[in-house]
Amino acid sequence: MTALDHLLLISAITVVIALLAGNRSFGGWLVTILYALQGAALLMMSGLGYSTLEVVQSSFRIVVLSEQLLWRFDALSWFFALITIGAGLFSSWFASGEWGRKYRDNGGNLRLFHGALALNVFSMLVLLASGDLLTLFIGWELVSWASFLIMALAGGKAFGYAMRYISYAFAGAMALLGGLLLIYAEVGSFDFQSLKEAAPQMQTSTLWLVVVLLTAGFGVKMAIVPFHLWQAKAYAETPGPGAAFLGAISSRMGLFAFIVVIVQLIGISRLVEMEIPFTFLSAQDLLAWIAVFTIIIPTYIALRQHDARRLLAWHGVGQTGYMLLGIVIANDLGSAGGLMHVFNYASYQAMLFMAVVAVMHRTGTSDLNKLGGLFTRMPLSYLAMLIGIIGLAGLPPMNGFVSKWLIYRSLIVDGSPLLFIGAVIGTLGTILSVYKLIHNIFLGQLRVEHVAVREAPLSMVIPMMLLAVVVFVTGYFPGLVLDWTSAVQASIGIPVLAHHLGGVSISGGLDMIWIVSVLLVGFGFGTLVFFLGGRSKRVHQLDNYAGGHFLTAETRYHYSDNFYPGLMHLIGPWYRNSFEWLERGVISAVDTFSTAMQGLYRNAHPSYLLLAAVVFALSWVIV
Amino acid sequence: MPFSELLVELLLMPILAFVIGLVMVLMMRRIGARIQRRVGPPVLQPIYDIIKLYSKETQISHGLMHEIGIIMAVGGYIAAETLLPVPGLDGLADKGGAVTLAYMLMIPALGMALGVGQCANPNGSIGISRALTAMLAYDIPFILVIFGASYVYGTTNLAEMISIQQQQGVSSWGIVQMPILAITALLILPAIMGKHPFEIYVAPSEIATGPMVEMSGKFMGGLFVMQCFQLYTAGVIFTTLFLGGGVYWITFLPKIFLVVAIPMSVAYLFPRYRTEDVLRLMWKWPMLLGLIGLAVVMK
Repeated sequence: MTALDHLLLISAITVVIALLAGNRSFGGWLVTILYALQGAALLMMSGLGYSTLEVVQSSFRIVVLSEQLLWRFDALSWFFALITIGAGLFSSWFASGEWGRKYRDNGGNLRLFHGALALNVFSMLVLLASGDLLTLFIGWELVSWASFLIMALAGGKAFGYAMRYISYAFAGAMALLGGLLLIYAEVGSFDFQSLKEAAPQMQTSTLWLVVVLLTAGFGVKMAIVPFHLWQAKAYAETPGPGAAFLGAISSRMGLFAFIVVIVQLIGISRLVEMEIPFTFLSAQDLLAWIAVFTIIIPTYIALRQHDARRLLAWHGVGQTGYMLLGIVIANDLGSAGGLMHVFNYASYQAMLFMAVVAVMHRTGTSDLNKLGGLFTRMPLSYLAMLIGIIGLAGLPPMNGFVSKWLIYRSLIVDGSPLLFIGAVIGTLGTILSVYKLIHNIFLGQLRVEHVAVREAPLSMVIPMMLLAVVVFVTGYFPGLVLDWTSAVQASIGIPVLAHHLGGVSISGGLDMIWIVSVLLVGFGFGTLVFFLGGRSKRVHQLDNYAGGHFLTAETRYHYSDNFYPGLMHLIGPWYRNSFEWLERGVISAVDTFSTAMQGLYRNAHPSYLLLAAVVFALSWVIV
Repeated sequence: MPFSELLVELLLMPILAFVIGLVMVLMMRRIGARIQRRVGPPVLQPIYDIIKLYSKETQISHGLMHEIGIIMAVGGYIAAETLLPVPGLDGLADKGGAVTLAYMLMIPALGMALGVGQCANPNGSIGISRALTAMLAYDIPFILVIFGASYVYGTTNLAEMISIQQQQGVSSWGIVQMPILAITALLILPAIMGKHPFEIYVAPSEIATGPMVEMSGKFMGGLFVMQCFQLYTAGVIFTTLFLGGGVYWITFLPKIFLVVAIPMSVAYLFPRYRTEDVLRLMWKWPMLLGLIGLAVVMK
């Protein structure tokens, strides 16, 4: 048995154990240990992440229609699998203690929750291991159904959102299947290698169709514009740590498949050759612009949310745009940035969701208008959220800055000012919206009913703190992650980024070891300057002056709703729900069509159909 | 360069920045006073102010984050100054270029925002909401300027930009190469510095209804120090991008003071803009000019 067999086997065992023992008090811990074992199995293959190992085959394979289905891991799969298992491990850890007990006591099915989570990890690993287009499709479908399972767990509203997801996923899968069949018709094989060899000779018109169908198929999972509507609500309503897991990695599977088929096999250079008629744009530009709109539109939708989980989930959609943008630019800087952003984003998004779930666990709400002042009550959750939002906003010293810096820098090298501005507009919107998030939950006025709130239990705080360490350390030493992305770049045939432990070794480069050190020393001097001043008297949190009025804690004056009135005054009218409108249009068109077809087949015309069939049969017999 | 020398540089750069920033604050006040036909403060007034603020008897802290916020505001600028090359001192210019600097400068803003948030004063939070909105307004044209300059000089390394302009003479200065972008930068400069006519988000003249409402004693003192750094940074960035930087302090100092003085002299003549008007203004003229300027330099 190879190392990959071990990994998949342990992952399958995890699913079984989770389904058997998930609702016991030790079940969660057992599953968490199994995730750690999966991680260990993955580390056995760590040569993949450092270019010392080319590929790890699985010994399990089947032959269907003279096509051999095979599963294997390369550097790209290893990188994504690392994030998947990491997200699974931390989410399961988070769910194993008090959160799980409370979930079960409130009538939730904890067994199904752990089972669904483990099934998600397993199906993602199967997808990541796919060695040809057919196994890719099988893995794709498994992942879709597994995510549906975990999304629908909460029932009620969540079920509706999950149904919406699965409708999108069906449409995406059909587009994907169409694209794959088209490739099969052209190439005559589902093999990766034969597609790679055939792609340069393929006719441009056929290739256009293939690229559009596949991008639509993968794009639905990534939730790129215009398929972005389903994701945020479906993820936000998933039970606690499940949302952290889905938010961190689930929709990255679309990006993985995109990289495999479009970047690795068809090749970005082929996309550059594909001109859009009557414009100056190529297919690559088109994808880059889709990525930029995927950054901007969801980010500014997030700005208007007043539910913490929705806000984070919408940012998740927006951050996908950065990854896609970096990868589509496909120079050494951009692709490294895009890939690194997958890792960085997963680390802080999981942590942010966990912090919000910890707050929900203690206060019972994630409504940004019903919280406030919790910093003094939940300082560690606050710290996790602070580190997370600095990462999400892409400011130094956290890891999010490095990946975004690489993407910005690649756009400067590429000479694309408008894409660059689009990316920056997204970042600025993110800063506005994450400040609102942390302010409305942790800063400002403490509500009287939250005076007795305590810090979240250790089983929830420890995973958050570990993730915080990951976010900070990979920001301090980005070379740790850049090693892996370089291995990926080498394996998918993109120029490899020259890097060192602290950052990038190019002219006008980046050395985060210096930047972060100088920032920390700066804070040290800032502290010194601060304590040079006279003694300050610390007043009680509820002792406030509030603009000249001596208000008691009972009066609610926390500034939370409509946080940016000036901005909304100007850009408010630009929110037109055009995509919602478009979605409704498509739904009613499909509805009308199916009603018409139903009428035709079932009610009005059975006799006509019979007649037509008889005429057809007779004519066939006679002629 | 030997390690010890670099450390001395890193220590020297923030100190110089602070001292020059103090003089800039003085100059700004003097200009304001002359325009309003007053005499203005004495030479040492900024120093007196800082000493006074730091040694106040009543200093109210609203909790740990309030204090950390001020530390982040000052410390972030101390760190950012080391990325900004000045004559004789390159510091960390080759370890992080213009883009890194632009994002480093948001750390102090974030620190201040978090500190104000902890104070639980709705007026403070409203002030931060305005400040962040204003940031969204001026940062987009600012990033256009950064992009244009990086494109023209072919690098994001600020020290390299200076040496290119120094070697090739005045005709290679940014202001000659990309005059439209220079005008754009000059237009947004007062907004970046938080000065007239875009100073409503700082609300210095009606403290009780702005972000500074809960800042007393050394908290206010910390923000004063931050303002010194802010003026200095704005002046040096503009000089580096457009006026050839400097090899000697004697030629460098007049440039940075001039850069800060121009918007100050003009700005006091205008009334203040509301936050949404700042947005409307910034997204209209500087943005338009910036895009035209980019189109010209990129052809």
